[in-house]
Amino acid sequence: MSLQVGDIEIGLAEFAARLEERFAGELTDVALQPPVTVVARLAREKLAEVARRLHDLDETPLDCLNLISSVDNVGSLECVYHLYSFPANLYLELHVEVPRGTPVVDTVSDVWPAADWHEREAWDMMGIRFRGHPDLRRILLKDDWIGHPLRKDYVDDVRNHPYV
Amino acid sequence: MALTDEVRRRLPESIAARLSYPKLSDFERPNVITTTADLVFNWARSHSVFPFQYGLACCAIEMLSSGFARFDIARYGMEVFRPTPRQCDLMIVAGTVNERMAPVLHRLYEQMAEPKWVISMGACATSGGPFYDGYNVVNGVDKVVPVDVYIPGCPPRPEALFDGMLQLQRKIQQLTFAPPEHVEQLDAADAPWRASAIGQRARFGGRVSRKRLTP
Repeated sequence: MSLQVGDIEIGLAEFAARLEERFAGELTDVALQPPVTVVARLAREKLAEVARRLHDLDETPLDCLNLISSVDNVGSLECVYHLYSFPANLYLELHVEVPRGTPVVDTVSDVWPAADWHEREAWDMMGIRFRGHPDLRRILLKDDWIGHPLRKDYVDDVRNHPYV
Repeated sequence: MALTDEVRRRLPESIAARLSYPKLSDFERPNVITTTADLVFNWARSHSVFPFQYGLACCAIEMLSSGFARFDIARYGMEVFRPTPRQCDLMIVAGTVNERMAPVLHRLYEQMAEPKWVISMGACATSGGPFYDGYNVVNGVDKVVPVDVYIPGCPPRPEALFDGMLQLQRKIQQLTFAPPEHVEQLDAADAPWRASAIGQRARFGGRVSRKRLTP
């Protein structure tokens, strides 16, 4: 990659308009969050394919995955992908809704290797499974932990605390 | 080696009163052999404690700063921090112990050479501290290993750590080669200290130091 940070002079509104045009029908609810962030929503069925295209976008590739956060909205779960474009120096915040009943999302660790540990953490804390992940183990808690503690309906199990 | 009466006489009164090295007359108790051995060994042990670096959270910063020139832990003969449990006899648990770390901590404690002691430094290691209700926090390292001295604070200042170490020195000086059934007769003034050490050993199934010391 010969492009450096900020090589592409592009405003936030133009960045958002370009994303909306390229991903019409896929990115919905596109909104600006000045100064540097575009927020959008994406259906989880399209994640794997759209992630690859976002990564390979010409001029403004979103080539860096900063963070995957997982949210429990009680009604459903949600994965939030915080993407960054080095050449444009702008961010895209991608919200993917995950149903509580079948909390499965396609992995993006083949697109952004950084997703590997973030997805393991989302599995560990929120119980979201990532289809195609190379090594979906718990990352912070013990391997034999029961439950996913950051869910709103988490009930602690006494077997998690052998030293009490 | 020890401070003779001759040297002691030449010191200013204020300093001489504070020195607690054994005098020659201390070695003339009725049970000459056991008493002497106790005093010599305990004097050496309590002034050459090798602490094990067990920094788990922000308390570790205070532990480190106590090692540097401003506070200077070397004044107490305890400055030789070791990264391996094999060379240590004091584990300073400085920080929050969580469920995943607890088995590791227990194993490292078992690997330390006897006799060995544990200082629980700060609110987290003592009771879970501000995280006592967390899903992943062990509420006190004393649920995993036997603790000799608890230091309150969040985090404790280096002075508090030194105070804890001085308390530990006092406790180390109570060790004895005498069999447990005779311990109570040795020195009534220090009975509470001895009693707590014995009780602690019993609570953890005899894994604490005194048993191995008995010839």
